[in-house]
Amino acid sequence: MSPGFAAMLDALPFLWRGLLVTLSVSALVVVLSLVAGAVLGLMRVYGPPVLQPAVQAFSDIVRGIPVLVLIFFVFYGLPVVGLQVNSFTSAVLALAIFSTAQVTELARGALQSIHHGQNEAAKAIGLTFGQRMASVILPQAARRFLPAWVNSVTDAVKGSALVSLIGVGDLMMAIQQVIGRTYQALPLYVLGGAIYFAINYGLSLLSRHCEQRLSYYQARE
Amino acid sequence: MPYHLNFGFVWLHFDRLLSGLALSLSMAALAIAIGVAIGLALAVAHVSGSKATRAAISAYVEIFRNVPLLLLVYFVFYGIPTEFDIRYGATASFVATLAIYAGAYLVEVFRAGLAAVPMGLIEAGKAIGLTPWQRLLHVRLPTMLRISLPALGNTFVSLFKDTSVAAVIAVPELTFGAQWINLNSFRVVEVFSVITLMYLGTGYAMLRLMRLVERRFSVNRT
Amino acid sequence: MAATPVVSIRGLWKSFTDTPVLKGVDLDVHRGEVVTIIGPSGSGKTTLLRCFTLLETSDGGGGTMDGVEVGYRDDGGERVPRSERELAPIRAETGMVFQMFYLFPHLTALQNVMLGLVKVRRMARAEAEEAAAAWLKRVGLADRMQHLPSQLSGGQQQRVGIARAVAMAPKVLLLDEITSSLDPSLVDEVLAVVRSLAEEGRTMILVTHEMAFARNVSDRIVRMAQGTIVADGAPGEVLDGVVPSPSGRGLG
Repeated sequence: MSPGFAAMLDALPFLWRGLLVTLSVSALVVVLSLVAGAVLGLMRVYGPPVLQPAVQAFSDIVRGIPVLVLIFFVFYGLPVVGLQVNSFTSAVLALAIFSTAQVTELARGALQSIHHGQNEAAKAIGLTFGQRMASVILPQAARRFLPAWVNSVTDAVKGSALVSLIGVGDLMMAIQQVIGRTYQALPLYVLGGAIYFAINYGLSLLSRHCEQRLSYYQARE
Repeated sequence: MPYHLNFGFVWLHFDRLLSGLALSLSMAALAIAIGVAIGLALAVAHVSGSKATRAAISAYVEIFRNVPLLLLVYFVFYGIPTEFDIRYGATASFVATLAIYAGAYLVEVFRAGLAAVPMGLIEAGKAIGLTPWQRLLHVRLPTMLRISLPALGNTFVSLFKDTSVAAVIAVPELTFGAQWINLNSFRVVEVFSVITLMYLGTGYAMLRLMRLVERRFSVNRT
Repeated sequence: MAATPVVSIRGLWKSFTDTPVLKGVDLDVHRGEVVTIIGPSGSGKTTLLRCFTLLETSDGGGGTMDGVEVGYRDDGGERVPRSERELAPIRAETGMVFQMFYLFPHLTALQNVMLGLVKVRRMARAEAEEAAAAWLKRVGLADRMQHLPSQLSGGQQQRVGIARAVAMAPKVLLLDEITSSLDPSLVDEVLAVVRSLAEEGRTMILVTHEMAFARNVSDRIVRMAQGTIVADGAPGEVLDGVVPSPSGRGLG
């Protein structure tokens, strides 16, 4: 057995623990950003006119900077303003902010893509704002939102690799540590790459499947 | 403990940020140029190639779009030299990595652009007797480029932001410069705010530039 | 003896970005009347309907339904615009059928018709389903009730649109160029439904380009041009040019 292959096998339990951290960071980020992003997206489209530019500004600024900068900003910035949080919390917070900005944009796009005629036809039969949203607008917007949102989920998983740089014991850090012990860089990077690939490619297949199943609603407008 | 803003240290070492920005832009430009070449070539190959060619191109795209850039950077800078006993500098290593990464995203942009060329234009080309190669060169590629401009603009800005990952292998670009200032002064809020503005400003400038290009070339949109 | 008109519009003004589209329109429609509005595009016909059903807010004037002001209420002597919540039940009393159908694509034909009955008329699901099914049968779509709009032809979709509006039992039915987007071969099936509704004595306001149909089915025809009403009378009078139209534009 080549040293590379042996190293890969021995590393598996250690990598597994790192993978669990990666998955928990990603899962937390995805849930938080879905809720926050949906709320902000609704606010951006239907909220008080005073708030709409503020939400757009937040989304544009956060999406305009590299994820790494945001991670450093949060990790180094919080203690300086008096908040002592561990690196895991910083990581989740930073990635959640980034992902929320993305989800807000996706939600805005989905809501605004609904033809105004739908809202008018719903008004014409006497539905209130709440009823229009629940029965007409949101069901249609959700279908358009879903495939794009799964893409932002894979972005969150890829972004999570950067948190190894602030000391979070994720898959990336586990890979680095095993390499540090065994010097088998290439095999470990290939293995690590394969694991990330499996997760994200799986998610993108799911997204494509969703898109196909929901596309027949897009027919007549 | 209240935090008092003090930009002194940042301004003192602003040259690091400026040269960092210049390096980020140069790396992005080079990686984009190579990536565009890869993307165009593979997009054309995908459309006109065999099933095996298409499968290989899809594999390339899927691998580089589903693996974190950080891992790719490490793979090229640490992995390959360790295994094959070659040496290269961090900057060259990063540009090569980003170029191949960019190629994977640009193939998709160009493929979508090519598919969006209206059938009518291609048929008009056929009608005046152009060969498939001539149609590609004179009708489909020019049209595809005009169609792809908005998506290209967004991809370019995205790749520019990705140059920040070079900081992890000590390439002295913008984020690395900011980290240096941060670790040597703990003026976190100041330095990261400044580079936030620099990234936002550069990204905005890039998009405006793309819009100018769009306006010059998107003459007749049927 | 004039009973209170079902629809009474007075002095309606509406501009879109400094361009006046409605310049002080007055119109009465009585119970059981079928009124058709004709005129060139840009004359304000659709805007008139949309302002009345409160899909647009007018810049001046207003309308009443059975004597009650539609867009405003009396707040201790002051004329105050109605809130969104107040407008919903009023809109339920006006049935609107749109040129582009605007059926809800995620709901079946049956569900499209049921939605208003369940959410606004507060009917029990089973009751609403029965009523909706009856209306779909009435417009000739008994065998298409479980179809999605994407599975229906234009004419069929429009008939669902009519059923959706009529099932709400509105006081007045407004039909805005409902055949203009249809393939010519599908127009007749829709007009047949409209005729049968008119013959029942429903109060209807139509905007249409189908002149022969308008002459046939209307009690009154109103001609609009450049934001005002230029003729208002019996079909024969208005269409055959007995009542002169200032633009001198002849028939149609």
